[in-house]
Amino acid sequence: MSTDKQTLLDYYRKMVLIRRFEETMEEHARKGYIPGFLHLGIGQEAAQVGTMASFQPGDYVLPDHRSHGVCLMVGTPTREVMAEIFGKKTGTNGGRGGSMHVADFKRGNVGNNAIQGSTMATACGLALAAQVKKTKSVTFEFIGDGTVGRGEFHESLNLAGIWKLPIVYVLVNNGYAISTRATDAHPLADLAKMGCAYKVPGITVDGNDVEAVQAAAKEATDRARRGDGATIIELKTYRWQGHFSGDPASYRPEEEVKAWKEKCPIKRLREKLLKPKMADEAALKAIEDDVEREIQDALKFSIDSPAPTIADALSFVYVGREVTGK
Amino acid sequence: MRTLNYKEALNEALHQEMANDSRVIVLGEDVARMGGDFGVTMGLLDKFGPDRVRDTPLSEAAIIGAANGAAFCGLRPVAEIMFADFITECYDQLVNNSAKARYMFNGQVMAPIVVRTASGAGFRAAYHHSQNIEAWFMNIPGLTVVAPATPHDAKGLLIASIRDDNPIIFLEHKMLYGTSGEVPEEPYALPIGVAEVKRPGTDVTIVSSMKQLHYALAVADQLAAEEEISCEVIDLRTIKPFDKATILSSVKKTGRVVLVNEAPKTGSINAEISAVITEEAFRDLKAPVERVNSLDVPVGFAPVLEDYVIPGPAEIAKAVRKVVDY
Ligand SMILES: Cc1ncc(C[n+]2csc(CCOP(=O)(O)OP(=O)(O)O)c2C)c(N)n1
Ligand SMILES: [Mg+2]
Repeated sequence: MSTDKQTLLDYYRKMVLIRRFEETMEEHARKGYIPGFLHLGIGQEAAQVGTMASFQPGDYVLPDHRSHGVCLMVGTPTREVMAEIFGKKTGTNGGRGGSMHVADFKRGNVGNNAIQGSTMATACGLALAAQVKKTKSVTFEFIGDGTVGRGEFHESLNLAGIWKLPIVYVLVNNGYAISTRATDAHPLADLAKMGCAYKVPGITVDGNDVEAVQAAAKEATDRARRGDGATIIELKTYRWQGHFSGDPASYRPEEEVKAWKEKCPIKRLREKLLKPKMADEAALKAIEDDVEREIQDALKFSIDSPAPTIADALSFVYVGREVTGK
Repeated sequence: MRTLNYKEALNEALHQEMANDSRVIVLGEDVARMGGDFGVTMGLLDKFGPDRVRDTPLSEAAIIGAANGAAFCGLRPVAEIMFADFITECYDQLVNNSAKARYMFNGQVMAPIVVRTASGAGFRAAYHHSQNIEAWFMNIPGLTVVAPATPHDAKGLLIASIRDDNPIIFLEHKMLYGTSGEVPEEPYALPIGVAEVKRPGTDVTIVSSMKQLHYALAVADQLAAEEEISCEVIDLRTIKPFDKATILSSVKKTGRVVLVNEAPKTGSINAEISAVITEEAFRDLKAPVERVNSLDVPVGFAPVLEDYVIPGPAEIAKAVRKVVDY
C-alpha cells in the first residue's frame, strides 16, 4: 500500500500518542491517582487511528470502554480526556464521567459506555437523525468481539440493514472478552460475517496494519456517506494488558502475548518508515519527543486540576427541575 | 365542548405536535402502516411521511436506543412500546442511557424522548400484557413518569411530554382508550408534576391514577350518598415526581388517607407516597395510611384469577371505611 509519507508520519504520531497516553494512565492508576476501572488499548492503536482517519467534522463516534485513543482522535485536547479519566473538573465531562464515559458532543464524540453493546442502539438514532435532517453525517460505532453476543448487536444491524443507516461498525476483535476467547463465544471465526443475515457487508482486516485499517474504514465510510448503508469492519488485533489495569490476565498463554507483541502496530509502522528511508531516526525521535511533551503537559494539567464540587453532584439530573441535596 | 375518547385525544396530540414541530418523529412496532396496536398513531404516516413515522422490527432496545440517539441530535422522538410489559426488553436503554445521559455527560446533551406504552389490567390478556409498571421506574433518577386518567389530560400531558426536555415514560391505561370526555380542539400543555383534586372532600383523601381513579371517584360518590363520608379524590397525573404538596395539603385537611394503585402492593408507588406522608404529615394523621393495590401475585388468565388479584371499588370502599372507623 502506498500511503504518502506525511500521512504515515501523522499516523505514527497519533499511535505513539495513544500508546504513551495509555502507559501514562496505567502508571498513574497504579500510583492511585485514578479512581475506578481503567481498560487500556495498548496494542490496538492502529485500529483506532486507522479508522478515525475517515472521521470528519459533523460525524459521530461512539467509542467503547477500551477507546481512550478514539476519544483523542476526534480532536478533544489530550488534557481534557486525561483530566476526565482523573475525575477532574477540567475533564470533558467535568469529572463526572471517567474512563468509561468520556464524551465531547461538539466534536462528535457521543460518549463511551459501560453497558457493552448498548450504544449499538444509540448509533441507529444518530444515523436516523442524519437521514431525517438530510445531513451527510456518518456514525462510527466501536465494539469488541465479546459484544457481538449482545441482543442490541443484532437489533442494530437489522435496523441498519432495512433503513440503510449510515453507520460504520468497528468491530475490534482482540480475541478475548475478559477471559473468554472469541472462538469459544461465537461460532464464526471472522465476525465481520455476522452482518450477512442483515445484508450489512463486512470485511475482516489485520487490525495492526494501520494502512489496511484505514483503507477498509475509508471504503465503509464512503459507502455510508453515499447513502448505501452500513458496513462492519472487523479489525483483528490484541490487547497487551489484562482486561482492566490490574488484571494479571493469567487466562492467556505467555507465548501468545509475546507473539502479539512482536506484531506491535507501532513498531511495524516505524520499520516501514525507516526501511525505504521515508523518515530517519531523528525525525521519528522528534515526533516521539513532541508527543512526550504533550503527555507531560496533560499529566501536569490533570494532576493540578481541581476535583468537581459537591454542588456538581446535584446538577443535570433533570432539565428544569432541581433535586435536593443532603 | 367537543368530546373525544382517550385514544383519539392522544392521536390528536401527536398530529398537532408533529405539525407544530418538525423535530418530532414517531417510531415503534406497527405505528406507521397500521397506526398503532391501539390506534393511537393513526394517520401520522399519511400526513407526515415515512421519514418521520417509522415502523420498526420487534426490537425494543433498538427503538429506545434509536430514540436516544435521535434526541441527542436535536430531534424529539416519540417511541411506542406496544405493551408496557415489553419495557423489560429496553429497560437498559431507559435506565442506563436515557435517564443518565444528561448527568454523565455533564449537561452536554438532553434526551427529550417520550416512551408511550399501554399498561394495566382488565384486558384478560394475562401475564405479559396486563402489568402496571410505574414502580419499575421510581428508583431511577433522571426519569419522569406521566399517567393520564382522562382524555383531557391524555392530550394535554402528551403535548407537555413531547415539549419537555427530559426523558418521559408515558403510561396509557389500555382500559381507558375507549373512555370519552371533553377535550379542547386547540393544542394545550398541562404541567408535569402537578396532581389534580378531582373531587373535594373533608373526611378521607384518596390518591389514585389511571383506571383506578375512576373507581375511586365512583366510590366517593357512593359513600357520600349512602354513608355520609366525604372523600377528596386526587388524580396524580404525574407519578414521578408525584405532587407532594397537593397530597400533603389534602392530608392536613382530612387526616385519613387511602392510596389506590393497580400494581402489586410491595414496593409500589403507594409505598413511597405512604412513606412521604409519614415523614412529612405524621401529626396530621388520624388513622394509619391504607393501601389498596393488586395482590403480590401475577395477573392470571381466567377472569376469576385476574379479578381476584386486581383491586376494584369494593376494596377501595372497604379501605375508606377502615380509616374512618379507626
Ligand atoms: C452488558 C454488559 N455485560 C457485561 C459487562 C462486563 N464486561 C465489560 S467489558 C466485557 C468484555 C467485553 O469484551 P469485548 O467486547 O471483546 O471488548 P474488549 O474488552 O475485549 O475490548 C465484559 C463482559 C458489561 N460491561 N456490560
Ligand atoms: Mg475483545
